[in-house]
Amino acid sequence: MVRCPACLLPLPKRGFQPLAEHLIARAGESDPDHVRWLNQNLSRSRIASEELVRRLEQYFDLGERSLGDWITRRFIAKFFGEVPHPFVLALQHPSRGTLLGYVLEHQHFLRQWVRSCAYIMARTDEPEVVRYELENLLVEFGTKDPAATAHYELLLRMGESLGVSRAEILATPPLPATRRAIAEWNRIATETDWVEAMAALHALELIAHRDLVREGATVHYFDPSILEGDTITPASRAFLREGYEADLEHASEALGLIERFARASGREEEVQATFLRSLDLFDDYLIARLERGEQFEA
Amino acid sequence: MKLNYRGCAICDSTWGDLREEVDGTRLFFCCSICAIQFRHLVERVKARTGWDRIDALEIAGDRRGRACVATRGDREFRFEIAFNSDGEVRRFRPAPAGVPG
Repeated sequence: MVRCPACLLPLPKRGFQPLAEHLIARAGESDPDHVRWLNQNLSRSRIASEELVRRLEQYFDLGERSLGDWITRRFIAKFFGEVPHPFVLALQHPSRGTLLGYVLEHQHFLRQWVRSCAYIMARTDEPEVVRYELENLLVEFGTKDPAATAHYELLLRMGESLGVSRAEILATPPLPATRRAIAEWNRIATETDWVEAMAALHALELIAHRDLVREGATVHYFDPSILEGDTITPASRAFLREGYEADLEHASEALGLIERFARASGREEEVQATFLRSLDLFDDYLIARLERGEQFEA
Repeated sequence: MKLNYRGCAICDSTWGDLREEVDGTRLFFCCSICAIQFRHLVERVKARTGWDRIDALEIAGDRRGRACVATRGDREFRFEIAFNSDGEVRRFRPAPAGVPG
Protein backbone atom coordinates (compact mmCIF):
# COMPACT_ATOMS: atom_id res chain seq x y z
CA MET A 1 0.00 0.00 0.00
CA VAL A 2 1.08 3.59 -0.62
CA ARG A 3 -0.75 6.76 0.29
CA CYS A 4 -1.67 9.92 -1.53
CA PRO A 5 0.39 12.77 0.00
CA ALA A 6 -2.48 15.19 -0.64
CA CYS A 7 -5.38 13.27 0.97
CA LEU A 8 -3.83 10.14 2.56
CA LEU A 9 -6.00 7.79 0.52
CA PRO A 10 -4.47 4.29 0.64
CA LEU A 11 -3.58 3.03 -2.84
CA PRO A 12 -2.37 -0.35 -4.11
CA LYS A 13 1.40 -0.71 -4.09
CA ARG A 14 2.14 -1.21 -7.77
CA GLY A 15 4.91 1.28 -8.29
CA PHE A 16 3.64 4.84 -8.59
CA GLN A 17 1.11 4.26 -11.36
CA PRO A 18 -1.96 4.14 -9.06
CA LEU A 19 -0.82 7.32 -7.28
CA ALA A 20 -0.20 9.11 -10.59
CA GLU A 21 -3.66 8.13 -11.85
CA HIS A 22 -5.26 9.25 -8.60
CA LEU A 23 -3.46 12.62 -8.65
CA ILE A 24 -4.41 13.25 -12.28
CA ALA A 25 -8.05 12.33 -11.61
CA ARG A 26 -8.38 14.54 -8.51
CA ALA A 27 -6.50 17.42 -10.13
CA GLY A 28 -8.83 17.05 -13.11
CA GLU A 29 -11.66 17.77 -10.66
CA SER A 30 -9.77 20.94 -9.61
CA ASP A 31 -9.39 19.68 -6.05
CA PRO A 32 -7.26 22.32 -4.27
CA ASP A 33 -5.18 19.93 -2.13
CA HIS A 34 -4.19 17.73 -5.08
CA VAL A 35 -3.53 20.60 -7.48
CA ARG A 36 -1.47 22.32 -4.79
CA TRP A 37 0.61 19.23 -4.14
CA LEU A 38 1.37 18.78 -7.82
CA ASN A 39 2.09 22.49 -8.31
CA GLN A 40 4.42 22.75 -5.36
CA ASN A 41 6.22 19.44 -5.60
CA LEU A 42 6.30 18.13 -9.15
CA SER A 43 5.15 20.52 -11.87
CA ARG A 44 2.93 23.54 -12.41
CA SER A 45 2.22 22.28 -15.91
CA ARG A 46 -0.03 19.35 -16.56
CA ILE A 47 2.06 16.31 -17.47
CA ALA A 48 1.13 12.90 -18.85
CA SER A 49 0.73 9.89 -16.59
CA GLU A 50 4.01 8.20 -17.62
CA GLU A 51 6.00 11.35 -16.94
CA LEU A 52 4.22 11.83 -13.63
CA VAL A 53 5.12 8.27 -12.60
CA ARG A 54 8.75 9.01 -13.43
CA ARG A 55 8.76 12.21 -11.38
CA LEU A 56 7.04 10.52 -8.44
CA GLU A 57 9.68 7.78 -8.48
CA GLN A 58 12.41 10.40 -8.38
CA TYR A 59 10.67 12.46 -5.73
CA PHE A 60 10.16 9.55 -3.32
CA ASP A 61 13.48 7.84 -4.07
CA LEU A 62 15.70 7.81 -0.99
CA GLY A 63 18.79 6.99 -3.05
CA GLU A 64 21.80 6.73 -0.79
CA ARG A 65 20.10 8.83 1.89
CA SER A 66 18.30 7.64 4.97
CA LEU A 67 14.59 8.32 5.45
CA GLY A 68 15.53 10.85 8.16
CA ASP A 69 17.76 12.74 5.72
CA TRP A 70 15.05 12.73 3.08
CA ILE A 71 12.55 14.15 5.59
CA THR A 72 15.03 16.82 6.71
CA ARG A 73 15.80 17.83 3.14
CA ARG A 74 12.10 18.17 2.25
CA PHE A 75 11.46 20.12 5.42
CA ILE A 76 14.27 22.57 4.69
CA ALA A 77 13.07 23.05 1.10
CA LYS A 78 9.57 23.87 2.30
CA PHE A 79 10.28 26.22 5.18
CA PHE A 80 13.91 27.33 4.97
CA GLY A 81 14.61 27.55 1.24
CA GLU A 82 15.79 30.54 -0.74
CA VAL A 83 12.60 32.32 0.26
CA PRO A 84 11.83 31.12 3.78
CA HIS A 85 8.26 30.69 4.97
CA PRO A 86 6.64 34.09 5.77
CA PHE A 87 6.18 33.15 9.41
CA VAL A 88 9.86 32.27 9.72
CA LEU A 89 10.74 35.64 8.20
CA ALA A 90 8.41 37.41 10.62
CA LEU A 91 9.89 35.52 13.58
CA GLN A 92 13.46 36.58 12.84
CA HIS A 93 12.82 39.80 14.79
CA PRO A 94 9.21 39.35 15.85
CA SER A 95 6.68 42.08 16.52
CA ARG A 96 4.23 41.85 19.40
CA GLY A 97 1.58 40.81 16.87
CA THR A 98 3.68 37.94 15.49
CA LEU A 99 4.31 36.59 18.99
CA LEU A 100 0.65 36.93 19.95
CA GLY A 101 -0.35 35.15 16.75
CA TYR A 102 2.02 32.40 17.83
CA VAL A 103 0.44 32.17 21.30
CA LEU A 104 -3.20 32.26 20.25
CA GLU A 105 -2.93 29.59 17.56
CA HIS A 106 -0.20 27.48 19.14
CA GLN A 107 -2.17 26.79 22.31
CA HIS A 108 -4.52 24.72 20.11
CA PHE A 109 -1.64 23.08 18.28
CA LEU A 110 -0.02 22.01 21.56
CA ARG A 111 -3.25 20.55 22.89
CA GLN A 112 -3.51 18.43 19.73
CA TRP A 113 0.19 17.62 19.98
CA VAL A 114 -0.16 15.83 23.29
CA ARG A 115 -3.34 14.12 22.10
CA SER A 116 -1.40 12.77 19.10
CA CYS A 117 1.48 11.64 21.34
CA ALA A 118 -1.02 9.78 23.49
CA TYR A 119 -2.53 8.03 20.46
CA ILE A 120 0.92 6.92 19.35
CA MET A 121 1.62 5.54 22.82
CA ALA A 122 -1.71 3.75 22.84
CA ARG A 123 -1.11 2.16 19.46
CA THR A 124 2.53 1.10 19.66
CA ASP A 125 4.00 -1.87 21.42
CA GLU A 126 7.56 -0.54 21.32
CA PRO A 127 8.90 0.46 24.77
CA GLU A 128 11.36 2.94 23.23
CA VAL A 129 8.54 4.75 21.49
CA VAL A 130 6.41 4.78 24.64
CA ARG A 131 9.32 6.27 26.60
CA TYR A 132 9.94 8.87 23.89
CA GLU A 133 6.30 9.97 23.80
CA LEU A 134 6.08 10.02 27.61
CA GLU A 135 9.01 12.40 27.69
CA ASN A 136 7.28 14.52 25.08
CA LEU A 137 4.09 14.70 27.10
CA LEU A 138 6.01 15.74 30.19
CA VAL A 139 8.02 18.43 28.42
CA GLU A 140 5.00 19.88 26.68
CA PHE A 141 2.35 19.64 29.34
CA GLY A 142 3.71 18.28 32.58
CA THR A 143 7.03 18.89 34.23
CA LYS A 144 9.68 16.22 34.14
CA ASP A 145 11.91 18.33 36.31
CA PRO A 146 10.04 19.99 39.21
CA ALA A 147 12.14 23.11 38.66
CA ALA A 148 11.22 23.28 34.97
CA THR A 149 8.13 24.81 33.43
CA ALA A 150 6.06 22.99 30.80
CA HIS A 151 6.21 24.33 27.26
CA TYR A 152 2.45 24.99 27.25
CA GLU A 153 2.76 27.04 30.42
CA LEU A 154 5.68 29.01 28.95
CA LEU A 155 3.53 29.76 25.91
CA LEU A 156 0.70 31.13 28.05
CA ARG A 157 3.15 33.24 30.03
CA MET A 158 4.52 34.67 26.79
CA GLY A 159 0.98 35.73 25.86
CA GLU A 160 0.43 37.34 29.26
CA SER A 161 3.73 39.20 29.00
CA LEU A 162 2.45 40.70 25.74
CA GLY A 163 -0.65 42.10 27.43
CA VAL A 164 -3.30 39.45 26.82
CA SER A 165 -4.79 37.76 29.86
CA ARG A 166 -4.67 34.01 30.30
CA ALA A 167 -8.47 33.90 30.34
CA GLU A 168 -8.62 35.74 27.02
CA ILE A 169 -5.99 33.49 25.44
CA LEU A 170 -7.78 30.33 26.52
CA ALA A 171 -11.15 31.65 25.34
CA THR A 172 -9.88 32.43 21.83
CA PRO A 173 -10.92 29.74 19.34
CA PRO A 174 -8.50 28.70 16.58
CA LEU A 175 -8.67 30.27 13.13
CA PRO A 176 -10.25 28.00 10.49
CA ALA A 177 -6.88 26.92 9.04
CA THR A 178 -5.62 25.91 12.49
CA ARG A 179 -8.86 24.07 13.19
CA ARG A 180 -8.63 22.18 9.90
CA ALA A 181 -4.97 21.29 10.41
CA ILE A 182 -5.65 20.03 13.92
CA ALA A 183 -8.56 17.88 12.71
CA GLU A 184 -6.31 16.38 10.05
CA TRP A 185 -3.46 15.72 12.51
CA ASN A 186 -6.01 14.04 14.74
CA ARG A 187 -7.11 11.87 11.81
CA ILE A 188 -3.50 10.95 11.12
CA ALA A 189 -2.97 10.01 14.78
CA THR A 190 -6.07 7.86 14.92
CA GLU A 191 -6.28 6.35 11.45
CA THR A 192 -2.76 5.86 10.10
CA ASP A 193 -0.11 3.53 11.43
CA TRP A 194 1.65 4.88 14.53
CA VAL A 195 4.98 5.19 12.66
CA GLU A 196 3.29 7.46 10.12
CA ALA A 197 1.73 9.45 12.94
CA MET A 198 5.17 9.86 14.49
CA ALA A 199 6.56 11.19 11.23
CA ALA A 200 3.65 13.61 10.79
CA LEU A 201 4.15 14.89 14.32
CA HIS A 202 7.80 14.83 15.23
CA ALA A 203 9.25 15.88 11.88
CA LEU A 204 7.64 19.24 12.63
CA GLU A 205 10.06 19.68 15.52
CA LEU A 206 12.69 20.32 12.87
CA ILE A 207 11.29 23.85 12.65
CA ALA A 208 13.36 24.90 15.67
CA HIS A 209 16.33 22.62 14.98
CA ARG A 210 19.54 24.59 15.40
CA ASP A 211 21.54 22.40 13.01
CA LEU A 212 19.39 23.03 9.94
CA VAL A 213 21.53 25.94 8.76
CA ARG A 214 24.48 23.56 8.61
CA GLU A 215 22.34 21.27 6.49
CA GLY A 216 21.32 23.95 4.00
CA ALA A 217 18.63 26.09 5.66
CA THR A 218 19.01 29.75 4.70
CA VAL A 219 18.02 31.02 8.16
CA HIS A 220 17.25 29.76 11.67
CA TYR A 221 13.67 29.65 12.95
CA PHE A 222 14.42 33.02 14.54
CA ASP A 223 17.51 35.15 14.83
CA PRO A 224 19.20 33.71 17.94
CA SER A 225 20.25 37.23 18.94
CA ILE A 226 16.68 37.87 20.14
CA LEU A 227 17.36 35.46 23.02
CA GLU A 228 19.74 38.12 24.35
CA GLY A 229 18.90 41.76 24.98
CA ASP A 230 15.40 43.09 25.46
CA THR A 231 13.81 43.32 22.02
CA ILE A 232 11.21 40.79 23.18
CA THR A 233 9.78 40.19 26.65
CA PRO A 234 11.63 37.90 29.11
CA ALA A 235 8.70 35.43 28.97
CA SER A 236 8.97 35.37 25.16
CA ARG A 237 12.68 34.67 25.44
CA ALA A 238 11.98 31.87 27.91
CA PHE A 239 9.45 30.25 25.58
CA LEU A 240 11.60 30.49 22.46
CA ARG A 241 14.74 29.38 24.29
CA GLU A 242 12.98 26.27 25.60
CA GLY A 243 12.00 25.18 22.08
CA TYR A 244 15.37 26.13 20.65
CA GLU A 245 17.22 24.01 23.16
CA ALA A 246 14.77 21.15 23.64
CA ASP A 247 13.93 20.34 20.05
CA LEU A 248 17.49 19.66 18.91
CA GLU A 249 18.00 16.17 20.30
CA HIS A 250 14.27 15.49 20.35
CA ALA A 251 13.77 15.76 16.59
CA SER A 252 16.91 13.76 15.86
CA GLU A 253 15.86 11.00 18.23
CA ALA A 254 12.39 10.88 16.67
CA LEU A 255 13.78 10.66 13.14
CA GLY A 256 15.95 7.74 14.25
CA LEU A 257 12.95 5.90 15.67
CA ILE A 258 10.79 6.65 12.62
CA GLU A 259 13.50 5.46 10.28
CA ARG A 260 14.05 2.22 12.15
CA PHE A 261 10.42 1.24 12.65
CA ALA A 262 9.34 2.35 9.16
CA ARG A 263 11.99 0.10 7.65
CA ALA A 264 11.12 -2.81 9.96
CA SER A 265 7.44 -2.63 9.03
CA GLY A 266 8.04 -1.90 5.33
CA ARG A 267 6.11 1.37 5.54
CA GLU A 268 8.69 3.87 4.31
CA GLU A 269 6.57 5.14 1.42
CA GLU A 270 3.50 5.55 3.62
CA VAL A 271 5.63 7.45 6.13
CA GLN A 272 6.92 9.73 3.37
CA ALA A 273 3.39 10.47 2.13
CA THR A 274 1.96 11.13 5.59
CA PHE A 275 4.91 13.37 6.44
CA LEU A 276 4.28 15.34 3.21
CA ARG A 277 0.62 15.83 4.12
CA SER A 278 1.71 17.11 7.52
CA LEU A 279 4.09 19.58 5.83
CA ASP A 280 1.21 21.19 3.93
CA LEU A 281 -0.90 21.33 7.08
CA PHE A 282 1.96 22.97 8.95
CA ASP A 283 2.45 25.48 6.14
CA ASP A 284 -1.21 26.55 6.41
CA TYR A 285 -1.03 26.57 10.19
CA LEU A 286 2.01 28.89 10.20
CA ILE A 287 0.13 31.25 7.89
CA ALA A 288 -2.74 31.17 10.40
CA ARG A 289 -0.30 32.32 13.12
CA LEU A 290 0.64 35.26 10.91
CA GLU A 291 -2.97 36.02 10.11
CA ARG A 292 -3.83 36.07 13.81
CA GLY A 293 -0.85 38.26 14.54
CA GLU A 294 -1.87 40.74 11.86
CA GLN A 295 -5.13 41.29 13.76
CA PHE A 296 -3.05 42.95 16.46
CA GLU A 297 -1.22 45.15 14.00
CA ALA A 298 -4.16 46.53 12.02
CA MET B 1 -9.06 41.57 -18.88
CA LYS B 2 -5.55 40.90 -20.19
CA LEU B 3 -3.40 38.60 -18.05
CA ASN B 4 0.27 37.68 -18.11
CA TYR B 5 -0.48 34.01 -17.40
CA ARG B 6 -1.67 31.44 -19.93
CA GLY B 7 -2.62 28.87 -17.29
CA CYS B 8 -4.53 29.58 -14.07
CA ALA B 9 -5.29 33.31 -13.95
CA ILE B 10 -3.48 33.78 -10.65
CA CYS B 11 -0.82 31.03 -10.42
CA ASP B 12 -0.27 29.93 -14.05
CA SER B 13 -0.74 26.24 -13.24
CA THR B 14 -2.27 24.18 -16.03
CA TRP B 15 -3.64 21.44 -13.76
CA GLY B 16 -7.35 21.55 -12.95
CA ASP B 17 -10.33 22.44 -15.05
CA LEU B 18 -12.28 25.30 -13.54
CA ARG B 19 -13.74 28.12 -15.64
CA GLU B 20 -15.37 31.11 -14.02
CA GLU B 21 -16.41 34.54 -15.18
CA VAL B 22 -14.74 37.40 -13.36
CA ASP B 23 -15.45 41.01 -14.29
CA GLY B 24 -16.96 40.01 -17.62
CA THR B 25 -14.08 37.72 -18.65
CA ARG B 26 -14.28 33.93 -18.62
CA LEU B 27 -11.08 32.72 -16.97
CA PHE B 28 -9.33 29.44 -16.31
CA PHE B 29 -8.40 28.46 -12.74
CA CYS B 30 -6.58 25.37 -11.52
CA CYS B 31 -8.67 25.12 -8.34
CA SER B 32 -11.41 26.80 -6.35
CA ILE B 33 -8.93 28.47 -3.96
CA CYS B 34 -7.23 30.25 -6.87
CA ALA B 35 -10.62 31.40 -8.18
CA ILE B 36 -11.50 32.83 -4.75
CA GLN B 37 -8.10 34.54 -4.49
CA PHE B 38 -8.49 36.11 -7.92
CA ARG B 39 -11.98 37.43 -7.18
CA HIS B 40 -10.73 38.99 -3.95
CA LEU B 41 -7.77 40.51 -5.74
CA VAL B 42 -10.00 42.15 -8.36
CA GLU B 43 -12.44 43.41 -5.71
CA ARG B 44 -9.63 44.93 -3.65
CA VAL B 45 -8.05 46.69 -6.62
CA LYS B 46 -11.36 48.14 -7.76
CA ALA B 47 -12.25 49.27 -4.25
CA ARG B 48 -8.85 50.86 -3.75
CA THR B 49 -8.58 52.60 -7.14
CA GLY B 50 -12.22 53.38 -7.76
CA TRP B 51 -11.90 51.90 -11.27
CA ASP B 52 -15.02 50.34 -12.80
CA ARG B 53 -12.93 47.58 -14.31
CA ILE B 54 -9.33 46.41 -14.81
CA ASP B 55 -7.87 46.26 -18.32
CA ALA B 56 -4.78 44.20 -17.52
CA LEU B 57 -3.13 42.43 -14.63
CA GLU B 58 0.46 41.33 -14.25
CA ILE B 59 1.04 38.93 -11.40
CA ALA B 60 4.31 37.57 -9.97
CA GLY B 61 5.05 35.50 -6.87
CA ASP B 62 3.23 32.62 -5.27
CA ARG B 63 0.50 31.85 -2.75
CA ARG B 64 2.62 33.18 0.09
CA GLY B 65 2.75 36.65 -1.45
CA ARG B 66 2.31 38.27 -4.85
CA ALA B 67 3.53 41.51 -6.40
CA CYS B 68 1.13 42.79 -9.05
CA VAL B 69 0.48 45.62 -11.49
CA ALA B 70 -3.08 46.49 -12.51
CA THR B 71 -3.79 48.88 -15.35
CA ARG B 72 -6.86 50.78 -16.52
CA GLY B 73 -6.32 52.93 -19.56
CA ASP B 74 -3.13 54.85 -18.89
CA ARG B 75 -3.39 54.47 -15.14
CA GLU B 76 -1.36 51.90 -13.23
CA PHE B 77 -1.64 50.52 -9.70
CA ARG B 78 1.18 48.45 -8.19
CA PHE B 79 0.40 46.41 -5.11
CA GLU B 80 1.30 43.43 -2.95
CA ILE B 81 -1.24 40.87 -1.89
CA ALA B 82 -1.14 37.73 0.26
CA PHE B 83 -3.86 35.25 1.11
CA ASN B 84 -4.67 32.77 3.84
CA SER B 85 -5.26 29.11 3.01
CA ASP B 86 -8.96 29.78 2.35
CA GLY B 87 -8.11 32.33 -0.32
CA GLU B 88 -9.13 35.31 1.83
CA VAL B 89 -6.94 38.40 1.68
CA ARG B 90 -4.45 38.46 4.53
CA ARG B 91 -2.46 41.50 3.39
CA PHE B 92 -3.07 44.10 0.69
CA ARG B 93 -0.98 47.19 0.26
CA PRO B 94 0.32 49.49 -2.47
CA ALA B 95 3.83 48.48 -3.47
CA PRO B 96 6.64 50.76 -2.42
CA ALA B 97 7.94 52.84 -5.33
CA GLY B 98 10.36 50.97 -7.56
CA VAL B 99 9.02 47.50 -6.81
CA PRO B 100 8.44 45.64 -10.07
CA GLY B 101 5.15 43.91 -10.57
